[in-house]
Amino acid sequence: MTLTTDELSTVEQHYDRDAARRAVAVERRRGVLAETAGVLLTIVIALAVALVVMVAIGKDPYEAFRALITGPLSRSTRVGRLLEDWTTITLLGLSVVIPFRAGQLNVGAEGQLFTGALVAGAISVSWSLPPGLAIVVPMVAAATAGFLVACIPGWMKARLGANELVSTLMLNAIIVRLYSYLLTEFLTPPRATIVASEYLPSAARLPLLTDLFHVDLGRANAGILLVPVMTFVVWLLLRRSSIGFRARIVGSNEAFAKYGGIDAKRVIVLTFAIGGAVAGLAGAHLVQGVNGRLLMGISAGLGFEGIVVAILARNNPLMVPVAAFFYSYLRVGGDVMEQEAKVGTEIVYVIQAVVVLLITARLVQKLVERRRAQRLRTPTAIQ
Amino acid sequence: MNEFLHVITSTLFVASVLRVTTPILFAATGGLISELAGVPNISLEGSMLTGACAGALVAGYTHNVWLGVPAAVLGGMFIGLLLGVMHLEFGADPIIVGIGLNLLASGGTTFVVFGLLGDKSGTSSLGSRALPKLDLPLLSRIPVFGDIVSGQHLLTYAAFVMWGLSAVMVLRFRVGSHLRAVGEMDEAARSIGIDVKRIRYGAVVATGALAGMGGGFLSMGYVSYFARDMTAGRGFIAIAAIYLGGRRPVGTLLACLLFGLTEALAIRLGNFDIPSQLVSMIPYVATLVGLGFFAWRETSRARRLATGGAPRGEASARTPV
Repeated sequence: MTLTTDELSTVEQHYDRDAARRAVAVERRRGVLAETAGVLLTIVIALAVALVVMVAIGKDPYEAFRALITGPLSRSTRVGRLLEDWTTITLLGLSVVIPFRAGQLNVGAEGQLFTGALVAGAISVSWSLPPGLAIVVPMVAAATAGFLVACIPGWMKARLGANELVSTLMLNAIIVRLYSYLLTEFLTPPRATIVASEYLPSAARLPLLTDLFHVDLGRANAGILLVPVMTFVVWLLLRRSSIGFRARIVGSNEAFAKYGGIDAKRVIVLTFAIGGAVAGLAGAHLVQGVNGRLLMGISAGLGFEGIVVAILARNNPLMVPVAAFFYSYLRVGGDVMEQEAKVGTEIVYVIQAVVVLLITARLVQKLVERRRAQRLRTPTAIQ
Repeated sequence: MNEFLHVITSTLFVASVLRVTTPILFAATGGLISELAGVPNISLEGSMLTGACAGALVAGYTHNVWLGVPAAVLGGMFIGLLLGVMHLEFGADPIIVGIGLNLLASGGTTFVVFGLLGDKSGTSSLGSRALPKLDLPLLSRIPVFGDIVSGQHLLTYAAFVMWGLSAVMVLRFRVGSHLRAVGEMDEAARSIGIDVKRIRYGAVVATGALAGMGGGFLSMGYVSYFARDMTAGRGFIAIAAIYLGGRRPVGTLLACLLFGLTEALAIRLGNFDIPSQLVSMIPYVATLVGLGFFAWRETSRARRLATGGAPRGEASARTPV
């Protein structure tokens, strides 16, 4: 259908741009509110499920919840663990958010984290760099290593059409074994009692918060600065850069993106790789900050945590630290709960699982939307 | 080197390969059914773990190890059914649901065992027993072959039988061709009157049942108790085996045997000067290469055919949450 110039100008006259913009803004704000309410309701439901399970198994839920909620703040070392977990989990969440924007699920965070840890650790142990550089060089190297290793599944997906889920799972298995081989054979000093590298020289270690604030904050360290910095960087990348824009289009409609002249394959490889770089940084944080050396199984079961966080954050980079804080709070609280109320800390995984399932299935969202639709329908019926 | 060859050619070693292959074969046989029905199923791990836990608990509390088998199957089916409901009723992404279910199974089993027995490491205090081994009457008399094949665990035979049955079902039976049609192109299947949803429900539940049995083998055969996270990634190995086998029954069986072989080797290599990590890495590298190869072959074939529509295996986008 083509419009004549006259018709077009009539359309323009009737189209009040400001009012339309205001309407869109109002609608968006309402959407955000509904979404936030939905996520909060989901969390409440998940906690209620945990409550039911505790009662079913014959535990005192009051005592358990008290420990879960007040536990993490009850001692300064626990606060330290909270901050240390928060840093790692935020970085892992951010690493998932980026490829997810392009519609790609990165389950390879574990492998990328191990790569980053290995590279950061190996460099710190074998080179002695001047202060400052000793911290920065291994971190940059870890991010680069994560970037490169994440290119593999990205390239395989984009060029060969290989399922990224399987390729990243395979890479995780390969890298974890390679890590354990290299650590055992080359990095563990002879006659060591456990498989672990030497402690990094102090110049390569992220300063501990304990030394900065003179309160015992355990292993929490200056790596915590990565949380605001990387959140901002990822937000900038996704919202204010051309790669973020292209990723969003590829993610919502790949055929359209190609039609619009976007090199979808390049975008897919790049988003994977950037995600890998962030996961590599998480590895560097574990080596240079938390553990101070390379250990077997350094990730402590954080493999899928990034995905869980990204889902709770609804893939919004600015919400990732919030979601990560919630989960690290639960993790620390769960351990306290186990010590004090004899309720297994694993209930935290159950809570996380329920949140993941409810949010992916959009159960609460559908419920909220139906309520809203009903409310909207009533006035029109009266008119 | 001679000693090494001696070890890996011994009947004991070959028999141990079959034993190690069993749980992977169960899970891969199941996983292939879902895969062919077009539901990527990574909750195999969760199904196995739930099956292992349910089996050991029921066997322990009833003092009857035979009741453990249906319990393991039901446990696995429960996870499969949850995947079905989330994916088919609410349209949730099956992979993310799978991740959630694995988390649920890992946390849930440990939590329940800790809650019931006060011991986090597992159910060994229950003192449940393992299912018996089976001596095959005639086959055991054949030299070498008999030593390998006879005297295996009951569920090891069951794994190979279930693999055979499911292969025949998938390749020869009507329901199998419906299953593959649904996986290839569900719209087309629907247009000729196949109930896509029913087929997929059947597939994920069957997958859960088989994976649950694989878990049951771990807790009532391999050892006689449930241990925390005892599946140790075998569900993911099964997924690898499916892809290494080119998503075909025979290929999947061979891939499972390869994984079993390298795992058995890695166990034995402790005595020799060969790093076990590198050996156990082989099948994963093979899978990665195989995955790339199969995908490349498929996309280039699709490009040759130039069907117009998006070829299968082409980079497809998942809607961000």
